[in-house]
Amino acid sequence: MHERSLIRSLLRQVEQIVAVEGGGKVTEIRVQVGDLSGVEPLLFQTAFDDMVPSVFSSDCRLALEIVPVTAVCSECEHQFEIVDFQFRCPECQTKSVQVIQGDEVTLISVSINSNNSIEGVAS
Amino acid sequence: MNQRTIVVQRDVQADQKADAATERERLGRRGTLVVNLLSSPGAGKTTLLEATARHFAGRRSMAVLVGDLETDRDAKRLSPLVPVAQLTTGGACHLELSLVQRGLKALGDPEVDFLFIENVGNLVCPASHDLAEHLRVVLISTTEGDDKPGKYPKMFRTSQAMVITKLDLLPHVPFSVKAVTEDAHRIQPHLKVLANCALDGSGIASWCDFLEEQHQQQLATYHEPAGNR
Ligand SMILES: [Zn+2]
Repeated sequence: MHERSLIRSLLRQVEQIVAVEGGGKVTEIRVQVGDLSGVEPLLFQTAFDDMVPSVFSSDCRLALEIVPVTAVCSECEHQFEIVDFQFRCPECQTKSVQVIQGDEVTLISVSINSNNSIEGVAS
Repeated sequence: MNQRTIVVQRDVQADQKADAATERERLGRRGTLVVNLLSSPGAGKTTLLEATARHFAGRRSMAVLVGDLETDRDAKRLSPLVPVAQLTTGGACHLELSLVQRGLKALGDPEVDFLFIENVGNLVCPASHDLAEHLRVVLISTTEGDDKPGKYPKMFRTSQAMVITKLDLLPHVPFSVKAVTEDAHRIQPHLKVLANCALDGSGIASWCDFLEEQHQQQLATYHEPAGNR
């Protein structure tokens, strides 16, 4: 269940961002999970629900988006989606393909609700 | 109330990946090739390491970090042969760089030719963690079925070599070396495939030759070629 370790890294990153932004209540954390990332979305969500209350409020939402594996052929430069983990170019059949998306877990955005106005008036 | 959304677009493991890259470079510069060994439980990682230690004895130096959920049985088997540190994960399913660094410290940060990391037996979670390795090797034994690569694509996609173990059992089990190789190459066409039987020693020499070759190739990038300045 390495999802817990990933959530730990995620929450640490969000904490740093909130600190830089001058605090506030985190309402949503948007994350992209690739099909080749080795992350099980359901376990990721469960680990998040379990761990988020210790760092942020429990009504902080995880918005999870699944990203299909996309590759580019190094011979003909054709860009395509990898289906069923077939790492082969459908155009020229070469196996020399490079994954360009779908193997990472990416923090996309953090939504913060703060009582402070943009001018920085203390609450 | 002021609601804003800060766009980040950053790899969740970016910090860990950067730390791993730094550690990899530090070890590589001084001549240590780090090899991360992964497999299901019982595929024969410890047996392969014993055979490797015997083959390299007196010629190449090595140390082993053994990841284990609770016990130190594997570490005990290896300790008469090579310096070993036990990394107990306390039930966790994978090793992380901080544990590897702790293990290195426990061994006195030895300047060896090869540092092997015997990862926790699991084909899923360890695939997502960079342990500062130069070489990721996945082991698959003839007793566990030849359809593993397709079931655990990330593990096979991120490895550079696949070692088929327990070759001596081939006549007794429904396992095809050809099928497993094709399945693995579908996911990772550049995967180097090796096979051995650590019990009778067959295939161990070519496995060790492969390690030597990797040592030379991968660590060459850290040395400025002579006459290049
Ligand atoms: Zn192509």
